[in-house]
Amino acid sequence: MITTSRRARLGWNIATYAVLLTLTVFCIFPLLWTLLTSLKYEADIVTQTMQYIPKRITFENYVTIWTQSGFPTLVFNSFVVTATTVVLCLITGTLAAYSFSRFHYPGRGALMLGYLVIRMFPAVLMIIPLFILMRGVGLLDSRFGLALAYTSFLLPLFVWMLKGFFDAAPKELESAARIDGCTRIGAMIRIVLPLARNGLVATSVFVAIAAWNEFLFALMLTTSQGSRTWPVGLQLMVGEFQLPWGVLAAGGIISIIPVMILFAIVQRTMVHGITAGAVKG
Amino acid sequence: MAERMSALSGPSPSLWRRLDPAAALGRLSETRYWMYLLLVPSAILILAVVLYPTVYGFQLSFRQMRLNRPDLGTGFVGFKHYVAMWNDKVFWLSLRNTAVWVTFAVVIEFGLGLLAALALNRNLPGTKIMGVLILLPYFLPNVVAGHMWALLLDPRLGVINDILVRLGFLETYKAWFADPSTALGAAILVEAWHGFPFFALLLLAGLKGVPDDLYKAASVDGAGPIRQLRLITLPMLRSVIAAAVILRVIGLVNSPDLLLILTGGGPGQSTQVLSLYAFQKAYKDFNFGYAGALSVVMFVLLMVFAWAYVRVSKVNQD
Repeated sequence: MITTSRRARLGWNIATYAVLLTLTVFCIFPLLWTLLTSLKYEADIVTQTMQYIPKRITFENYVTIWTQSGFPTLVFNSFVVTATTVVLCLITGTLAAYSFSRFHYPGRGALMLGYLVIRMFPAVLMIIPLFILMRGVGLLDSRFGLALAYTSFLLPLFVWMLKGFFDAAPKELESAARIDGCTRIGAMIRIVLPLARNGLVATSVFVAIAAWNEFLFALMLTTSQGSRTWPVGLQLMVGEFQLPWGVLAAGGIISIIPVMILFAIVQRTMVHGITAGAVKG
Repeated sequence: MAERMSALSGPSPSLWRRLDPAAALGRLSETRYWMYLLLVPSAILILAVVLYPTVYGFQLSFRQMRLNRPDLGTGFVGFKHYVAMWNDKVFWLSLRNTAVWVTFAVVIEFGLGLLAALALNRNLPGTKIMGVLILLPYFLPNVVAGHMWALLLDPRLGVINDILVRLGFLETYKAWFADPSTALGAAILVEAWHGFPFFALLLLAGLKGVPDDLYKAASVDGAGPIRQLRLITLPMLRSVIAAAVILRVIGLVNSPDLLLILTGGGPGQSTQVLSLYAFQKAYKDFNFGYAGALSVVMFVLLMVFAWAYVRVSKVNQD
């Protein structure tokens, strides 16, 4: 009896490792192949026989994408848009998340649901009117306008995720501060925000990654090099200049480096924040 | 912590009071309406960039609006766009493709996600790093994901073609995205790669909440792993599964990004979905009225689905 159950357990363990290994390869292989491609000479990419391990390595593709296209400008624009989006979410979203987390009042449930339902609105339904409206107020093709558009779908996410982190911060210290004569806003800024700082960072990173990666709004709402972000720029380069694979791969690798770094740093807290809402509700 | 407390009772509150705006804000925060005031900035933002545009979008779908005409053609046309849609073959085709795209993608992503979550939840040594690597695709941009897979599946230098030929599954390299019979399938594969970590993430968190006792009791009663999965795990995860499926369906219906990058709806219209069709009507043809009508229909369908799905999963729960 014991030997069969031990053997069964060994079998399941082997199966577990097999599943995880397969899925990891499935997830990582495209990334790895792109990295290898970015390090190959174009002649070694377009060959009769596939080179799995590059025979020689070059950084030429990286130099090309960085110096011979507007890529630095694109990356800089993306950086500005991302930072603006995060700041907008931080200022407005933190207050809302705090209100939902710490107070109970008539209409709270309905308002929270409202913030959630907004996520269901199709991007295309908003993109078209946003295009017309932003053109009307001169925000079309501007980095600030794009960041404003991003808050439309990122702010609700931000509020919900941050509310979870606020809920987890103990209320006792806040009460103590209030008794000591601290105003409500004082208690929030000096007690709750420092307590929930990991959550604030993780939520901001989540929003930052989403804004950095966003493609559709940027394609519609930017029309010139002055505000175009890297996903749109890269996509248009592919269409216009028949970008060589190696250069395209290098551009891809450069643009996901910030994502990978941020993901690596706050991965654990961020994962916790994303799942908390869905698992509870 | 001690520092923080002493800062509170120390001189700094009086200092704060002397600074006028801060003191005013402090006084404001003591009023009865503070919790509502906290919502004002985000509510203004949401009204301006979500609700107003949405209402505008609904209204747009009843108007003739073409930005490439000098007069913009902003006249009221009633249900003209909706009637045109009814007779539009591409609309019906993209509706069908949307259903196929969403159904297959969700089923595959759920399957892979559940597999990953179950495996990761066993907490075997050395699997933690795999857990992190498995989540990675979800955080990668669509543009990069799309081009990575376009390279892997390229008809001339795609490594997947090479592997399949070497293993004898294929005679020659295949142009996956150029063949109408495989284009949608290949796109679903890419979407599954991109989206399954989301399910793994949520299901794993759900699994952590299932009490161990249930499994112990079940194994005492002689239930094997498969029956434990069917009788304990899946029922316990029902609300997580419902939430994950709804969020994913919304995401898949609403975002045409990946198909826009991979196929642009082609070849022919074989990978055309509603969101992409609406986007192209606006982006390429500047036919904002018709694009608005398409996205209104999509929105209504999505709402009906979400409502029905929540009803069904609630009914099952009782």
